[in-house]
Amino acid sequence: MADFLPYLIGGLANGALYGLLALGFVLVYRATSVVNFAIGEFLLVGAYLTYTFALFLPLPAAILAAIPLAFLFGVLVERGFVRPLLGRNVVAVIMATIGLAAALDGAVQLIWGPDLKYLSGSLPNLGFQAGEVFVSSRAVWNLLLALPLGLGLLWLLRRSRYGILVRAISEREVAALALGIPTARILAGVWGVSALLATLAGALLAVASGVGHNLVFFGLKVFPVAILGGLDSVGGALLAGFLLGALEALSQRYLEPVLPGFTEALPFVVVLLVLLVRPYGLLGERQIERV
Amino acid sequence: MKRREFLRKLGVGAVTALGMPYFATAQARPVKLATLLPLTGPFAFAGNAGREGFVDGVDYVNEVLGGIGGRRLELIVEDTGYDVARGTAAFNRVISRERADELLFVYGDSTGLSKALAPEIARIGLPYSATSFANELADPKTYPTIFVFGPTYNDMVEALLRQVRLQRGRAKIALVYSNTEFGRDPIPYAKERAKALGMEVVHEEVTPPAFTDATPVVLNLRRANPDFVILQGYALSVEPLIVRAAREQGLQAQFMGTYYSAELALIQRAGPAAEGFTVTYHNAYWYDSLVPAVDEMRKFRQRKGRDTSYRPTYYMGSLAVVLGLAEAMRRAAAAGKLTRAGVVEYLEKLGDYNGLGLQRSYEFVNHRLPYTKLYRASVRDGRFNAITDWIKLA
Repeated sequence: MADFLPYLIGGLANGALYGLLALGFVLVYRATSVVNFAIGEFLLVGAYLTYTFALFLPLPAAILAAIPLAFLFGVLVERGFVRPLLGRNVVAVIMATIGLAAALDGAVQLIWGPDLKYLSGSLPNLGFQAGEVFVSSRAVWNLLLALPLGLGLLWLLRRSRYGILVRAISEREVAALALGIPTARILAGVWGVSALLATLAGALLAVASGVGHNLVFFGLKVFPVAILGGLDSVGGALLAGFLLGALEALSQRYLEPVLPGFTEALPFVVVLLVLLVRPYGLLGERQIERV
Repeated sequence: MKRREFLRKLGVGAVTALGMPYFATAQARPVKLATLLPLTGPFAFAGNAGREGFVDGVDYVNEVLGGIGGRRLELIVEDTGYDVARGTAAFNRVISRERADELLFVYGDSTGLSKALAPEIARIGLPYSATSFANELADPKTYPTIFVFGPTYNDMVEALLRQVRLQRGRAKIALVYSNTEFGRDPIPYAKERAKALGMEVVHEEVTPPAFTDATPVVLNLRRANPDFVILQGYALSVEPLIVRAAREQGLQAQFMGTYYSAELALIQRAGPAAEGFTVTYHNAYWYDSLVPAVDEMRKFRQRKGRDTSYRPTYYMGSLAVVLGLAEAMRRAAAAGKLTRAGVVEYLEKLGDYNGLGLQRSYEFVNHRLPYTKLYRASVRDGRFNAITDWIKLA
């Protein structure tokens, strides 16, 4: 058990970030049916915003300062790129987000330069020893921020007025409009929340590994996580994040010695296997269409 | 003068007058060096610093050294985005656009791209080098025009293992490497050589080239409890992460890396955990002010109004390539052999040149330069300090 637990905790901590990012991705998909291929770049922009604020603020304050700006960034993306294309062919919207990803990659390099950056400060050390198991500060911070935020968001979506409005729009946008729901404002808010969550994940990654273009690769993990959880399930995204994080860490321990390099493919293998049994993901809604 | 004779002379004169500029231009046609660098993407930080080294080097050759036998050295830069397909397309674009008697050298990026291009390069007899130090490329029998401007990854691992033997004798080694051509390249040699030196490889870990959680890697290392951990194939993407997690979890092993780990960003990102990180490095650091090339380039950049603050190792590597290449080209030009074959011939005969101290010498052995130094990270100094003199590896 002492051998198994550290891997599990490390994996869950990493999975918390997967979950956070996937949460934002699924939220947007559920509300607008847009697959946001620029989610990795949202994370990148968030990490660079945190880095910029950390130049003159203590790190916790820098993260807090980056969050409203990230929200604004999400709203602007929705206004500038997504809203003009809503109702058009889905391929057009997908291409727009792919184009947005490339544009953001270039913009980040133009604004912040190609050099690797590192954050000057650090978060308070919360690492501790529990018996034979050492729980790193990074793991504590990831779980401490991602878990309440994810669960809080779930609660908001289910119970709050704002959540009910988002769900109403995702069910039938035209009907929501007819009922006088301010769909444009709410959808912009959803994109803002998605960017905010990506920024938080980006900031936590930046604290651990610095800021550089390779953070985008973390964004790619969102696709197997979201598909596994169910593309329309916010709770599923959180659950799948933790699940894949833990499986990856355990694979690194038990499978890697016999199958070198397998861990890289593991998320996709798991998604494939789960989709064979549950084509709509772990917690996704079963779609029945009458023809 | 008869009218007919007048018209004939006028015609000859006009043709001569119109043709002369073309003739003059042909005489002063530039010598071209094409570089395929990752100016965007995950290794943009290295590609852009490398580009700067090429720009400075080429400007220095033209403005201070007088070009190549009276001809101007011209730099072509293409972005690969660290993508083999994009790099191959850039290579094909350059090759089809440029004249064979002008384009005398191509410098590419990555082990993957270089291995993909190698057969074509050998076929057209084009002198080539790259950011890669892959062992396979240093093979003049198969690839007679490819040069590695430094030791191969096998050589670098050899230097590290010699240091391990010096420090600990029969030590326990762990190899952590990325699942890429770059990462895997020296691993068979490292295992074989460690065994031959009486060391035990207690752990081998294959990882993606970039990841954000080092916990499983470090936990595996803790179980194996090695004396030394050699990291290969990351170019700063994860070294700071691994080293920090290792120190946080009480791993005592000494960390080592090859050329692409030898950059100050490692110390800046890893902080105190970087102390003692040992690397191989075969050019001069920007702070090695006793090296003539560093002093010369600082003054040159100052004259040009360019930033004279710290330049990364990727810059120094590019500079070393330009200076060595320009010297070989100048010698080839002096012998009337400024062709692709001539450049290859004079690169092979460049043993008495050291690029103003940037290399120990450009004495290629099997088309690579088998010399390096070992450096150790000092967090207090914020830099890597040399712990050995030049080590000969062949």
